[in-house]
Amino acid sequence: MKKILSAFSPSGWRSVSRLGIALAVAFLIGLMFGRVALALAITFGIYSIVQLWNVLRVEYWLRHRRVESPPDISGVWGEVVTIISRIYRRKQFHRARVTGLLREFRRLTSAMPEGAVLLGPDHEILWFNGRAGEWLRLRRKRDVGIRVENLVRHPAFVDYLKTGHPSEGPIVQDLETDRWLAFNIVRTGTAERQLLMVRDVSQEQQLQSMRKDFVANASHELRSPLTVISGYLDALADDEELDPAWNTPVLEMRRQAERMRTIIKDLLELSKLESGEHTQEESAVDMAGMLALLRKEVMALDERPRNVRLQLESDALLKGVESELHSVASNLITNAVKYTPAEGDIELRWWVDDAGAHLSVRDTGVGIAEEHIPRLTERFYRVDPGRARSMGGSGLGLAIVKHALQRHDATLEIKSKEGVGSTFTCHFPRTRVISRSAGVLATA
Amino acid sequence: MALSALFFSQSAGYTASDLKGDVMEKSDLSHHILSRYNDDLERVRTNVLQMGGFVEEQLKQAVTALVQGDSRLGEQVARGDQKVNAMEVAIDDDCSRILATRAPAASDLRLIVAVIKTITDLERIGDEAEKIGYIGSRLAAVERPADRYREIKHLGRLVGDMVHEALDAFARLDPEGAVAIAKKDRLVDEEFEAIQRQCITFMMEDPRTIRRALDVLWVARALERIGDHAKNVCEYVVYMVHGKDIRHLSMEDVEKHLQSRSQRQQESLPPAR
Repeated sequence: MKKILSAFSPSGWRSVSRLGIALAVAFLIGLMFGRVALALAITFGIYSIVQLWNVLRVEYWLRHRRVESPPDISGVWGEVVTIISRIYRRKQFHRARVTGLLREFRRLTSAMPEGAVLLGPDHEILWFNGRAGEWLRLRRKRDVGIRVENLVRHPAFVDYLKTGHPSEGPIVQDLETDRWLAFNIVRTGTAERQLLMVRDVSQEQQLQSMRKDFVANASHELRSPLTVISGYLDALADDEELDPAWNTPVLEMRRQAERMRTIIKDLLELSKLESGEHTQEESAVDMAGMLALLRKEVMALDERPRNVRLQLESDALLKGVESELHSVASNLITNAVKYTPAEGDIELRWWVDDAGAHLSVRDTGVGIAEEHIPRLTERFYRVDPGRARSMGGSGLGLAIVKHALQRHDATLEIKSKEGVGSTFTCHFPRTRVISRSAGVLATA
Repeated sequence: MALSALFFSQSAGYTASDLKGDVMEKSDLSHHILSRYNDDLERVRTNVLQMGGFVEEQLKQAVTALVQGDSRLGEQVARGDQKVNAMEVAIDDDCSRILATRAPAASDLRLIVAVIKTITDLERIGDEAEKIGYIGSRLAAVERPADRYREIKHLGRLVGDMVHEALDAFARLDPEGAVAIAKKDRLVDEEFEAIQRQCITFMMEDPRTIRRALDVLWVARALERIGDHAKNVCEYVVYMVHGKDIRHLSMEDVEKHLQSRSQRQQESLPPAR
């Protein structure tokens, strides 16, 4: 009680004291006329009428929300009005600030170079910015609540939304505007919400296709004159009237022409692999048979390591593009042959275990120093530039292997010790392995 | 006075929502107490639109194969039609199951009926795309005309847009949009006429081109048919939303009907706050 009393505001005290004075005066007047009860009753009556009037004014004011013109009341009710209008003003201020922030946020998101769509648990659209609306042709307000795959119906996009594959997001061409759009889903903190980012990659796509066309055209244009040159060089080499002093230069020229042909061939192959198009259908490939054939080819060479062992522990088939898998195996084997001396060994191994299928090429060649291994699959990267040039080869072999393996969801593992030898192992995922009986059934 | 205002606003709200029951809204699909039922209906609709998306892609690739003379792409389209057929069968099964187990009524029933009709038309569009892809891969082998099939490309784009927008109207349950698209069918017909005349001219000029001109004519015919199927889909959208069959009405009558309908709705609805 004391606490409340001490917490009274000055105006509260004033009202209480005013009431006290009024009562005292009424009491005195009552004493004077000998009607104390009547005087007190009249005073109380007037007091309560005034209070009721004030309460009604406050109520009217609150209901009609005329904040800017609070009723002019003295005493406790005046204090109440001041406090309420202060709270209201503060709320108003905060609201203005939040709306301002929201407006700013909206302006920022619409100026964003990327499109953003916020999706709910069932992929329904909750919000999107202007860029996304423009690219995906969504309509503000109307399309909120509709599932995004109902409006953006590209099969690749729908697959991505369902399976999350490919992980880097699909790139699809808009049917009407021919714009290329890249999609990417970002999972936000809670699992319920997903953010779909859309990027316009038309320019990248255009550059990519220009580059591809350039490589293809340039390689093609280089190949025709080269055919002519090697043709004449062959004729020269067979010419018996030629001065013997020319024999060595002609031989060297032929070798360099051959090397140039390999480079062009590899460049073409690499650009085809990089373009990401699956130009050929995937089928069940007999890797064991392919390795056996490649071994036979190696054995037919004049300069080859003493021993090429074949260790086939599985007859399982591998799902993939045959020509690409062939270039993987042949590039690895060619490298092994190139860097292994005549008295060395090569071992080809093909096996299947719980992790998937594996292909390894082990040699007892010169080996590779530790620091070169991470960079081996870069284009034109040479461990020993001088030596490699005399060996021929384009410097693109391992880059081709890497890209071809990527397209088969496979990885390349390189282990090597200088002077002891190297092992190149390709790991294919379990999903690509087809056991022989199933494969036969499928083809039958 | 305050009380009476409160009462009025409440009663007005009640009549408005009552009247709206006639018109299907997108939120309408989530009004069932059985959430599995909602999921079923929603899934059917999503599957139809996915089938539509695949058919759209097929159509686009078929025209691209023809215009660019890419025989491999053409064959790929022709093979892809199997997938369209499989999708149709799967959705059809789903619809039968819902009809049998849920016994849908009113707007849900209209949705199922419209879906069953829509997938038939989508499947036909797929068939026509297959035909175009097949002819495209055949035409890749012969010499291409000087205009590089520009007319076909144009018609293909027009028809592709129609299919796309028809499916959009289906997704948004937007009958006004659907009617606007259905009116585009006239443009497609005119374009087809023009190609027909052009082909006849070519054939008269040089009888050696008859074979190719006939093939082009087949493609144009297929595209024109696709336009008709897209128009059908639009009609089902109107049916689904308003419960009104507009299949054999002229477009002007349909518009008048829809306008009077939306006006009536607006009058009965309270003014927007």
